[in-house]
Amino acid sequence: MKTVFIVYNQALTERVEHILDKLNIRGYSRWPQVQGRGSINGEPHQGTHTWPALNEAVLTVVEDAKVEELMTLLRRLNDKAEMQGLRAFIWDAEIGI
Amino acid sequence: MSIYENAVRKPVTVILIFIGVVILGLFSLRYLPIDLYPEIDPPIVSIFTFYEGASAADIETNVTRILEDNLNTVSNLKELTSISKDNTSLVMLEFEWGTNLDEATNDIRDAIGRIESYLPEGVEKPIIFKFSTSMIPIMLLSATADESYPALSKILDEGIVNPLNRIEGVGAVSLSGGPEREIQVIVDPRKLEAYNISVEQIGAVIGQENLNLPAGDLDIGSYTIPIRIEGEFKVSKEIEHLVVGTFNGSPVKIADVATVKDTIAEMTIDERSNGRVGARIVIQKQSGANSVAIAREVKEKLPELMRQLPPDIKIDTIFDTSEFIENSINSLATTVLYAGIFVVLVVLFFLGRWRATFIIILTIPVSLIVSFIYLFVSGNTLNIISLSSLSIAIGMVVDDAIVVLENITRHIEKGSSPREAAIYGTNEVGLAVVATTLTVVAVFFPLTLIQGLSGIMFRQLGMIVTLVVIVSTLAALTLTPMLSSHMLRLMPPRKPGLSKAIFGTIEKWLEKLDRFYERLLKWAVHHKAFVMVGSAIIFIASISLVSVVGTEFIPPADNAHIEATVELPMNLRLEKTQELARQIEQIWQENYPEIEVISTSAGVADESNIFSAFGENGSHIINFNIRLSNSTERDRDIYLIGDLMRKDLSKIPIIKDFSVWPGGRGEMGSGAGNVEVIISGYDLDVTGALSEKIAERMENIEGLRDIDISREESKAAYQLVLDREKLGLHGLTTSAVASAVRNRINGLVATQYREGGDEYNVRVRFDEPFRKSVETIENIRVFNQRGEAVTIGELGHVEEYNAPPSIERRNRQRVITVTGSLYKASISDVVNQIKAAVDDIGIPQGVGVDIGGTAEDQQESFADLGLLLILIILLVYIVMASQFESLRSPFIIMFTLPFAFTGVFLALYITGTTLNLISLIGAVMLVGIVVKNGIVLVDYINLLRDRGLDLNEAVISGGKSRLRPVLMTTLTTILGMLPLAIGIGEGAEIWQPMGVAIIGGLTFSTLLTLVLMPVVYTMLGANRFKREQKRIAKLDKEIEA
Repeated sequence: MKTVFIVYNQALTERVEHILDKLNIRGYSRWPQVQGRGSINGEPHQGTHTWPALNEAVLTVVEDAKVEELMTLLRRLNDKAEMQGLRAFIWDAEIGI
Repeated sequence: MSIYENAVRKPVTVILIFIGVVILGLFSLRYLPIDLYPEIDPPIVSIFTFYEGASAADIETNVTRILEDNLNTVSNLKELTSISKDNTSLVMLEFEWGTNLDEATNDIRDAIGRIESYLPEGVEKPIIFKFSTSMIPIMLLSATADESYPALSKILDEGIVNPLNRIEGVGAVSLSGGPEREIQVIVDPRKLEAYNISVEQIGAVIGQENLNLPAGDLDIGSYTIPIRIEGEFKVSKEIEHLVVGTFNGSPVKIADVATVKDTIAEMTIDERSNGRVGARIVIQKQSGANSVAIAREVKEKLPELMRQLPPDIKIDTIFDTSEFIENSINSLATTVLYAGIFVVLVVLFFLGRWRATFIIILTIPVSLIVSFIYLFVSGNTLNIISLSSLSIAIGMVVDDAIVVLENITRHIEKGSSPREAAIYGTNEVGLAVVATTLTVVAVFFPLTLIQGLSGIMFRQLGMIVTLVVIVSTLAALTLTPMLSSHMLRLMPPRKPGLSKAIFGTIEKWLEKLDRFYERLLKWAVHHKAFVMVGSAIIFIASISLVSVVGTEFIPPADNAHIEATVELPMNLRLEKTQELARQIEQIWQENYPEIEVISTSAGVADESNIFSAFGENGSHIINFNIRLSNSTERDRDIYLIGDLMRKDLSKIPIIKDFSVWPGGRGEMGSGAGNVEVIISGYDLDVTGALSEKIAERMENIEGLRDIDISREESKAAYQLVLDREKLGLHGLTTSAVASAVRNRINGLVATQYREGGDEYNVRVRFDEPFRKSVETIENIRVFNQRGEAVTIGELGHVEEYNAPPSIERRNRQRVITVTGSLYKASISDVVNQIKAAVDDIGIPQGVGVDIGGTAEDQQESFADLGLLLILIILLVYIVMASQFESLRSPFIIMFTLPFAFTGVFLALYITGTTLNLISLIGAVMLVGIVVKNGIVLVDYINLLRDRGLDLNEAVISGGKSRLRPVLMTTLTTILGMLPLAIGIGEGAEIWQPMGVAIIGGLTFSTLLTLVLMPVVYTMLGANRFKREQKRIAKLDKEIEA
């Protein structure tokens, strides 16, 4: 099991949701309205007067087999509109309850 | 934090706010005056101008036309009518409803001021007269007497009128028809001639003798003492001993040429109550005063006051508007109570829980009481309209609370704590609750914008329902969740016992109903074409019912009051008129045991009276004012009795014309409507002939009664034509001769005799036998400057002629109106028949014919209502579209509307009710009420579709789960309206059509749309699937390689 943390511009919400649906990933937790800033370039998403955009974050725990496909789709989405901003991070997960 | 979250967290504040509102409401209720209708002042201003001695035609050209031409510029003027009669001109300006009459009156005053100098010499200053509803008497009493009759006026004035005037809120108490004391000096003209004395001499002597005068002060020694001359008569007998002249050296006393009678003035009017002589006491209230309270106090005081009167004086009530008001208000209050009980039963039936029922029921008093605060603050009264508004609202105020509570219960059953369940449960339905309220507001608020008479009637209705429903929503969003969080809990299964037996059975029954509906829906969605075509056929068939259902303006009510006027041939003597009046009274009293009091007046009230200019009067007219027993105590209604009375009158040959007004003249809401045919044209003969022809045809139309032509028949009169040459020869003038004739026939008021603080006229006139023929006028002797007597026969001759009729004008055109009152017929039929008759007769050149009257009002109001209906449908659509954020969903819901109207027509047809203003307003209201069901249903089906159910599945299970809330809110509304539709008690029958319309429309549309709407949804909702596919395809593109 892998934990995937996806953080992206709010504008991409519908598309990210569609990717999850497409891969039959049912379970996730989501934070709407998250502030953030990219490490290298891009506009900060702060929800302020200066930087009005905001991020959203999704944390989902998926089977190892699905991780690769998920990352491909997300990468394609990011490539289509790079300046929108989308990042995904993966780490191991253990089964709790 | 949201309003319901706050409410749940702060129970004390919420409870105290609502208690505060209730206390304020009860406080307002205590001070609310009670009245029959909201105060409606007709926007009419009249202008009277007196021009002594001018004929109708002179008045028309010299006074009326000048006034009309200038008054026409006054703004907001709707119609200008005038009547020119001998001596008087009456111009009536009708304004648009809602016009500020004070401003209008100022404009009128200005306009009159501008033209006053153009009016002929001798025209008196025009009098501006504003009519208001507070002028309509609230009580009419009759006083009858035997021995005390001659002194009746004085006794009543002191014993009744003055004490009653002191009651708070009483505007005026006036006495009419009572005898007036008068000292008459009745002269024998033959003796006058013998002693060579004139009437004027006698008058002068009496006037000069009846005098008290202070003559100054006398200084006697060291004192100053005033000196007075006291000549005033101590007793009326003194007049006999006055010396009027000398004859052959001996004094001639009044007793020698005349007899002095201390008696009552010659009556030009004969007032009777149940055939006994008497007087009438008219009680009017001040504007804004409480009729019921005044009438109650008057009735309380009367027995006490009557004890101080001579025992032969009896006082009866002819009519008492407060009785009708009180009965109507009481029956409406009962209606509200019944409606409340029904609502409680429905809620208990469906929920089966006492606590839940209690929480829902609590919203009823809280929201209804707010309307009292509104009425009090806006200076309105508690009346039929405001109370029936409550009756209409009562079924709707629980709807929101039901929806909220049902959802909270669902959450509790899922295991939430009551507190969280209250907050989340309310959150889920909060928006839907607000939306249904907004649709109701969208219907009722525009009611306050209707113009005209109906606008004034329905302003309160619109405001009250809007307010009550808004408050009920506020209560549903605060009070209901707050109470639920404290009172509701997860209920264990019922213990065996009575309650389980009852509610368990009901529950099983409801489950059976659910399953039946589910099967029905399954069948329906698979037979779409059949359902659609069937519904269309039903709707089209119902449209054809419109022609069968009659139309009228306002349904008549039975207020136990009938007025009638009988017209006998012109110039008939009062004695003859009286005789006939007694005869008619006797016939009626024998035939109609329902009659409690008949009050009759024959003759003219007072020629100089401003009111006499309004109506027909003369010695040949008899007015009847009849009070019957209460409508609940008799089988025959006033319209039937009125009709029978008409038959009685038509059997008496001497009667020239008669009218019977069940419900009384000019009372709004009661009394039947009328149709007016207005014939305009300058040539009086042509229009007169046409009016008679039309009247004749109208007599034959079934459903029309009391056909009346406005122009009076010309009146026979004598005219004294003087020869100016002869006048000059004798040194006389027309004025000298005219006043001489007047002094002898009408009498000369010589002075006022004072006794006990009151003044009585002393009138000198010829003895009766010398006032009975044309010859006596010719024999009157007039004295010239030289003291010579000349008989009038030498100066001119008496001619008989026909006085020209009064001339009526409307919008500056001469008109004659032929009116008829409607009886058990629809106005549209009658109007069509009249139109056919008019076409048949043919309209001469230069003459116009219009049909008006209530018909005109009706068309205006119906047109207003049609516009209103369109406006309301649009508003409701907008509100729903914004709620669903969709154009399709409200469109699906709107499919309910045609069937609401189908239900209305069907219900009207079955109950034999007509399509009138009231039932139409009911139909308009339905727009808001009916869509509520649709909102609940479609909203939930949409929700299930969002949750991913397939179309048919979503429609069937959504329909099944919403069946109970839909049935519950519908039933509370229908049963809340039921007492109104049955129409228990007096006055409530006015509202019957509205109740019938709403119940019919709501029942039918609910039954049909429970099947039809899901079917329509499946047809229009299929698109949704395609749209979703498109969306997914688009998203797929985004992540394509």
